[in-house]
Amino acid sequence: MRSPFAYTPRPGPLQAASPGAAAAYLGALVAVAFLYSNPLVLAAVGVAAALAGYSAGAGAAVRVALRMGLTLALLIVAVNALVVSRGDTVLLRLGEVPPLGQVDITAEALGAGAVIGLRAAVAMLVFAVYSACVDPDRVLRALRPLAGRSALTASLISRLVPVAVADAARLRDAARLRGPAAAPLGRAALLRRLMAGSLDRAVDVAATLELRGYALTRLDAARGGGPGHVRMRFKNLPQNLRARLAAPDTLRGAASSVGQMALPFGLPASYPRSVRHSPVAHAGSKSRYDGRFYCVGAAVLIAAIAGMILGADSFHAYPAIEIGLGAGTVALSALIVLAGFAPRRRDAR
Amino acid sequence: MPAEIATRAAPALAVEGLSYAYPNAGPVTKSMLSPSEGPNMTFALRDVSVTLSAGEFALLAGRSACGKTSLLRAACGLVPHFHGGEIEGSVHVAGLDAIASGPGELAAVVGYVAQDPETQIVSTTVAAEIELPLEMRGDPPASRARAVEEVALALAIPHLLGRTVDTLSGGELQRVALAAALVTRPKLVLLDEPTSQLDPVAGDELIWLLRRLNEEWGVTILLAEHRLERCLAAADRVIAMDSGTIVFDGSPRDFLAWAQRADTALETPAARLFSLAGIEPLPVGVRDARAILRAHEVEPGQGPRDGGPPAETCEPARSAPSPSAERGFRTGDPRPSAPTTAAEVQNLWVELRQGDEPHDVLKGIDLRIERGETVALMGRNGAGKSTLLRTLAGLAKPVRGKIKVSGEMALLTQNPSDYLVRERVGDELPGDGGLVALRVVGLEHAIDSDPRDLSGGERQRLALAIALAGRMDGDEMPYLVALDEPTRGMDRARRNDLVDLIEGLAARGAGVVVATHDVEFASVFAERVVLLGAGVVIADGSAAEVLSGGWYFATEVARILDLPGTITPEQGAACLGWEQPR
Repeated sequence: MRSPFAYTPRPGPLQAASPGAAAAYLGALVAVAFLYSNPLVLAAVGVAAALAGYSAGAGAAVRVALRMGLTLALLIVAVNALVVSRGDTVLLRLGEVPPLGQVDITAEALGAGAVIGLRAAVAMLVFAVYSACVDPDRVLRALRPLAGRSALTASLISRLVPVAVADAARLRDAARLRGPAAAPLGRAALLRRLMAGSLDRAVDVAATLELRGYALTRLDAARGGGPGHVRMRFKNLPQNLRARLAAPDTLRGAASSVGQMALPFGLPASYPRSVRHSPVAHAGSKSRYDGRFYCVGAAVLIAAIAGMILGADSFHAYPAIEIGLGAGTVALSALIVLAGFAPRRRDAR
Repeated sequence: MPAEIATRAAPALAVEGLSYAYPNAGPVTKSMLSPSEGPNMTFALRDVSVTLSAGEFALLAGRSACGKTSLLRAACGLVPHFHGGEIEGSVHVAGLDAIASGPGELAAVVGYVAQDPETQIVSTTVAAEIELPLEMRGDPPASRARAVEEVALALAIPHLLGRTVDTLSGGELQRVALAAALVTRPKLVLLDEPTSQLDPVAGDELIWLLRRLNEEWGVTILLAEHRLERCLAAADRVIAMDSGTIVFDGSPRDFLAWAQRADTALETPAARLFSLAGIEPLPVGVRDARAILRAHEVEPGQGPRDGGPPAETCEPARSAPSPSAERGFRTGDPRPSAPTTAAEVQNLWVELRQGDEPHDVLKGIDLRIERGETVALMGRNGAGKSTLLRTLAGLAKPVRGKIKVSGEMALLTQNPSDYLVRERVGDELPGDGGLVALRVVGLEHAIDSDPRDLSGGERQRLALAIALAGRMDGDEMPYLVALDEPTRGMDRARRNDLVDLIEGLAARGAGVVVATHDVEFASVFAERVVLLGAGVVIADGSAAEVLSGGWYFATEVARILDLPGTITPEQGAACLGWEQPR
């Protein structure tokens, strides 16, 4: 089954925008969420992110992210209430609770937890919209000239994560289909099998990347002589991987192998120099919507900074909850909510 | 001579004296690498010499593990640059030294398409996947856009460009992989069993697409395949390998004559038909076979005009005993007191999420499978075969309808390796129950082996034993045993072993259902064929009836003779009246 957070091409402005423009727009929303603690502003960022997601056709991602984010928020509220006993308004005295000590549930701790949880939920929501609406291939293409090795790692991960998810589902099915007299499977055995399968897959993907031109020849030093009728010995990458898998310290071996896998492809030896220096290589990644997203992102960020200077972020949890709901805060919140409409198509209004 | 012109003039592939051993093949000495040493299983390739001229369409034939994949890997630079090992000899691709150059440099002149499309896709969207090799080469965006558009048009996939790769079917993925291999306009394209995961329709389309590209673009094709009947007619030349050496190199017709003498496992059904009927020359495809038959005054669909029985005398073939009964495997029936029905589904509807929306994958299926019955479940990719098996096994939940499996059910899914987790066969199957299961699949001798050391066929048997373990009552099988696409990447010899296993299971009372794309395989093992189309049963009858009544889901013999009920070479030869089946 496809993840709701997986990128789906749609004919919307956010999907058409260049990765930079989309990142500027969504990044501004996240920045506000981390700059502000005022619940009204945080809620406005959440609404804006949800509107952006729905406008861009990523409703499923928004719904799932909201469910996950609110669950996380509730968890944070509960934990904060248990571990923080500050605040004037004691709602419940639980007495001595080992190992936490004296536990008093206060309204202020609940409020502070709610703000932290809201921030986490909003951040998740924005990242969900980003994941569902921004083409990872374009992001990687933009990254390659700047950080080839990181782009390669990201390429491998972006391909291998969904493959590993599918492998895990298949392995779970196979585990369920084992006969009652077959050896039962623990999670550790299943995880080890998944890891082994994923690394085999990684080897296949790495081979494909080589064939697509990611790597140029790198084994001159390893060759025993020149081309022709002579015997030559070559290093072997996949066998190294499998040898490590056979070792008991699978995780350490796997991590090391993945590291080795990335090494041969890294800059400067492997990346085509013509791409790195080509001034027109990324001209095709621009969109007519870029200006809109850069402007909206900048407007949100400038307004947020101005609002902070003017005191729009007035929120204090302790000793008693104080929430500033002045005109500046309301205006900033309204502007942020309006920013959520940026991904809408003009002809759809 | 300028380098570019020299490259054009060079053969597409020139391999000379190539010997190669993978790194885990044990210590290799100089003398062991000598071709004069004779057969030595440590070598994937031994003294291979072959030259492909520009514009040739060559088919690489041979049994599993004969060296086909290693030769293809050597031609694209993965051997030795990626896989390591020791190598002797020379490989030149369009003038480039493949041993001195790496796969990245060779990518400009050679494209490679592997068996499993899933493992050769590295991007998220189709357009980015096709564009990647050009981007790596440093082509400017305008040039890349044009090349992507042209290759998409050539492969009839422009509608896929905007889609993400995880929404594509197997056939679509294989076309995208082919597009990524072709987008740089390589001189040579190497394909390693590209149709093994495709249904007959997609497989045929891919082969003829390759032929068209070969003719129109002048691309040299080297295609490794097990299902020779599918591609022999498209090839100009056949290269057969055995134990890492080239044992035949010639025209398709000569190849068939050679296979008849040297290795009947490489014979096509059409060649077997003609060989049994004593007709010469052996045909390279359906069209060729029909022309030869006409020359012998046999009109397809009507039987022979002279010298043989008319078509209606083939009636016995239609009601011929099942292949399993012919082979004498059905040694006993289920206990009289036990239910005779293995499984039954009524009005079965199953909904799966595909993309953002749920879709009905099975739409009101009615089906009953008897114990001891061998059933082939066929249909194009996405028709619902796997979903039906998974629903029977309880892995998918129906939204409507009834399922009744009378007793235990064992399901072997498409990847037997998913069942193999431990490093010793005996650890996978401990105790008496495990030993019984191993005995049923004929693997009790391998109890101390590492599953990874078993052959592909043995691993599949082990996975089946894991699924069967504890589901048998003494020697009696579970009521239902299901196998999902068990013949992927199998040569005919291994397929025959699988047929024996299936017939053995049925003979012990299991209803056996096999989801497969392989019509020739189905014609050998199945008594009954259920054909699914878009989630509904569109045909359900005897194998002879269903596999002779169409074009794509019909055996090669059925397509040649066009006689109802005649699907195997033996039946066909009997109908032609020249020779009785053995």
